[in-house]
Amino acid sequence: MKPLTFTRVISICAALLAVLFVVVVAALKVGAVPISISDLALNLARTIFGRRIEMPSEYRMIVFDIRFPRIVLGMLVGGALSVAGTSFQALLRNPLADPYVLGVSSGGAVGAILSLIFLPRIPLVTPLGAFLGAIATISAVYFLGRRHGQLDSTTLLLAGIISASFLSALISFLVTTLATRDLRGIVFWLMGDLSTPVPDSLHWALLAALLLGIGSIYTTAADLNVITAGEREATHLGVDVTRVKLVVYVSASLLTGIAVSVSGAIGYVGLLVPHAMRMLFGSDYRILIPASAIGGAIAVVAADTLARTVMAPTELPVGAVTAMLGAPFFIYLLRRRLS
Amino acid sequence: MRFVERTIWTALLAMVLSLCAGSSARAQTNPPTPPPGNTDRDAAKAEPRIVTDQVGRRVEVPQPLRRVVSLAPSVTETIYALGAQDLLVGDTDACNYPPAAQKLPKIGGPFTPNLEVIVSLKPDLVVAAANSGNRKETVDALDLLHVPTYSTNAKTVEDVLTSIIELADVLGVGDNGRALADSMRTRLADLHNKLENVTPTRAMFVVWQEPLISIGQDTYIADAMRRAGAESVVMTKQDWPRLSWEEALRLQPEYLVFASAHPDEVTATLNGMRNLPGWRDLKAVTENKIVIISDAVNLPAPRIVDAIEELAKRLHPEVFTDATHGASGGAPAAGAAKQSTEPAQ
Amino acid sequence: MSTAGNTSSAADAVTRGGEAPVRLNVEQASYAYHTSGNSAPLFTLAATSFRARQREIVTILGPNASGKSTLLKLIAGSLEPLSGRVELEGFEISRLDARTRAQRIAMVHQESALLFPTRAGEYALQGRHPYGRLMRFETPEDIQITENALAQVGATHLRDRWMHEISGGEKQRVILARALAQQPILLLLDEPTLHLDIGAQVELLERLRQLASENRYTVVVVTHELSLAAEFADQVVLMHNGRCLRVGTPAEVYRQDLLEQVFDAPLDVEIGPEGRPRVHIRGARSGQYLRR
Repeated sequence: MKPLTFTRVISICAALLAVLFVVVVAALKVGAVPISISDLALNLARTIFGRRIEMPSEYRMIVFDIRFPRIVLGMLVGGALSVAGTSFQALLRNPLADPYVLGVSSGGAVGAILSLIFLPRIPLVTPLGAFLGAIATISAVYFLGRRHGQLDSTTLLLAGIISASFLSALISFLVTTLATRDLRGIVFWLMGDLSTPVPDSLHWALLAALLLGIGSIYTTAADLNVITAGEREATHLGVDVTRVKLVVYVSASLLTGIAVSVSGAIGYVGLLVPHAMRMLFGSDYRILIPASAIGGAIAVVAADTLARTVMAPTELPVGAVTAMLGAPFFIYLLRRRLS
Repeated sequence: MRFVERTIWTALLAMVLSLCAGSSARAQTNPPTPPPGNTDRDAAKAEPRIVTDQVGRRVEVPQPLRRVVSLAPSVTETIYALGAQDLLVGDTDACNYPPAAQKLPKIGGPFTPNLEVIVSLKPDLVVAAANSGNRKETVDALDLLHVPTYSTNAKTVEDVLTSIIELADVLGVGDNGRALADSMRTRLADLHNKLENVTPTRAMFVVWQEPLISIGQDTYIADAMRRAGAESVVMTKQDWPRLSWEEALRLQPEYLVFASAHPDEVTATLNGMRNLPGWRDLKAVTENKIVIISDAVNLPAPRIVDAIEELAKRLHPEVFTDATHGASGGAPAAGAAKQSTEPAQ
Repeated sequence: MSTAGNTSSAADAVTRGGEAPVRLNVEQASYAYHTSGNSAPLFTLAATSFRARQREIVTILGPNASGKSTLLKLIAGSLEPLSGRVELEGFEISRLDARTRAQRIAMVHQESALLFPTRAGEYALQGRHPYGRLMRFETPEDIQITENALAQVGATHLRDRWMHEISGGEKQRVILARALAQQPILLLLDEPTLHLDIGAQVELLERLRQLASENRYTVVVVTHELSLAAEFADQVVLMHNGRCLRVGTPAEVYRQDLLEQVFDAPLDVEIGPEGRPRVHIRGARSGQYLRR
């Protein structure tokens, strides 16, 4: 029997990080404006050695002010969505669960739309509105999803689906009746889009939130293994199922809410990256959670790179690319399960 | 060993993906190459000029102004009409008027401009159109990158005139701007005089046939229609109201107005739809009172006056006794400006 | 027909020389389910008492809806008794914290559908969960204990097989191994024979008897299988409509009038050669036992 050991977890993470590094370097290199590897290396060296002032200003802008923040954002969002997806699949006892099934993204969209309508001139109003909308949805679904005082998988799933439907209808209503010009941007948000830069301070806040969220879920990883084998049985093995479910629910929902606030609803990542990692590394949550985080980062950065180069200079929304690549992969996964 | 294999496959996949992306980037037809680099050490030659743009933002316009990128077709058209096209170093895929504009380096669509390409063109100023094609997120993003961005904003036809004057001023061709606006104003006044005693035609402007979408009272196009002696029959504050057939039949407009760069296509489509329920009950269809005007009416740019005049002539031919297209009055402009809106050569 | 004298205290039991001390003490334990605050209780378990020692197999026997599962849940500590006590080695079970409880009491459930494919060995290894710390990874000791548990149930060859690919009986063995890996002193089983054929049923119970003896477990089995209980139980707790009617050895409890009343069926009881009762169905062709 070969159970999971700490060493194995570390080595898998190291390997995935190496892949992530390759993808990030490739993403820095390619784009609508081609940059050669030697130029890239030279400019990176200049940055590291504090001689940024010597860089041609347009390279600096393109690589460090436009591409790099976008890549960082992609990594954060990809990691958050994948870990949230993995967690929801355990919490809801459903391998088809994705981070949006509980309506968090729809709530975020409503928040974003309302903020665009009422406070259009304030910078960063869309992420803030989206985040507030997400929080409101998380709270509502929590209260609706309880049964006998604790979160019940089926009830939670139903509450989430109902909320998601209701909020989607609300979005259609708002978009159709209000239809002012300010709302055109919302179309991009709904499809999932990383092209809107956020200020640096927000990057740090996002990173902190990501680490906090993933960290709290990771503390329940061993418990989640037992819970996925059966909740009743888990109670008899000493797992505090109520507490674990609460921690996972709150953390995963917050991760989703944060991701959705900055990038809209990028689809398929939260659903498929966990399954891909399961196929590669098994279903033990102690490896699945970190692997999903890094795997999600890889997936979103790769998809976003394609989104901004495939039809350059026009940019596709990254959600469109994940959908186009995700759907065939999903079909492949389904067929594997059936065989 | 299984695990090692899998990692190798994953890494290979990642590399293949990135190579595909890289090669597709190289395959594009019009890669803008960054001009020879100047570093941050090249300071601006003079103090920037501080202006307030048409949505109220404070913009620092570098002096002297040499390189401008346009983010919207209306802006491109206006810049050519002002004779300032030498300043343009890039525009969008949708900028196709005048034809010369199609040859400029492209930065993507008005809705999806590529920030990298914009930056690589090293613009001194980027000009956007606030309620005609650009997203606020784009302007915010350019702000974060410290690229000076100026937004035009026009909600009515009168706004267009003001907008042209202000933009011209910022671009350093203030005289041309005033002259152009004057000539447009004169033509509009002339039209107003001609149409003074004419009852406005009840018309419906059709943005889209299926579903039936028209325009609201507060739109730009509604204002243009009023100046052409027509009245948009759809009474709503929504910008793009979707009409039910009941409502359309209740309104029974005298005329249907379409705007298109390809009038033949519109005619062909309509012919196919004439006998469909709804369409066949509209008097305007059965009596063939359908007007197709230039799609210039969609843009807050100089050619809108042409479109207004065209619409007026089609709806009220009786007031246009002379055959020439109305250019009465208005002093000839100084400099390179012309009285019509054809681009300066 | 009420319970025979089980009102003697724990101290009494210890003084009977030569017998092992009482490990599980259920004393006048009762329970009632309420749907909401003031409505009448849905189901009541009337005050029930029995005691069990190490190496003993106790069967809680009765038809459906007789309160057997409720009693088992009280013993497992999932429910707190409304009145009375349920104690393991002197400690009130429902007051123990979950982790300690899991190190003492192992519950063997019906197989449940696993969410993601799991190997039998990994599944059994989860029995060590109550012993790990935060950010736990299993130690070699944990692995050894699990392998021993698998060996004890004869499932070593199943270790690397997928749970969804093995048979019902094999799954039952792995589930049992997981419980054994917890290194409990009390082993609880809720209708473990439901999905098993007769051969597997007998095998399971024989294994339980062997384990109880080797590992000094106290085993409590909830069942409605009359024959199996008669054959394997050391003690039978007979339940009917939420009341405990009788506690004693199979020979003491299996009386024809009692069984017919509880199970509402025509039954004959005879005593076999080893002193264990055997139950037969009396010919019921006349249809007089059809329930209207």
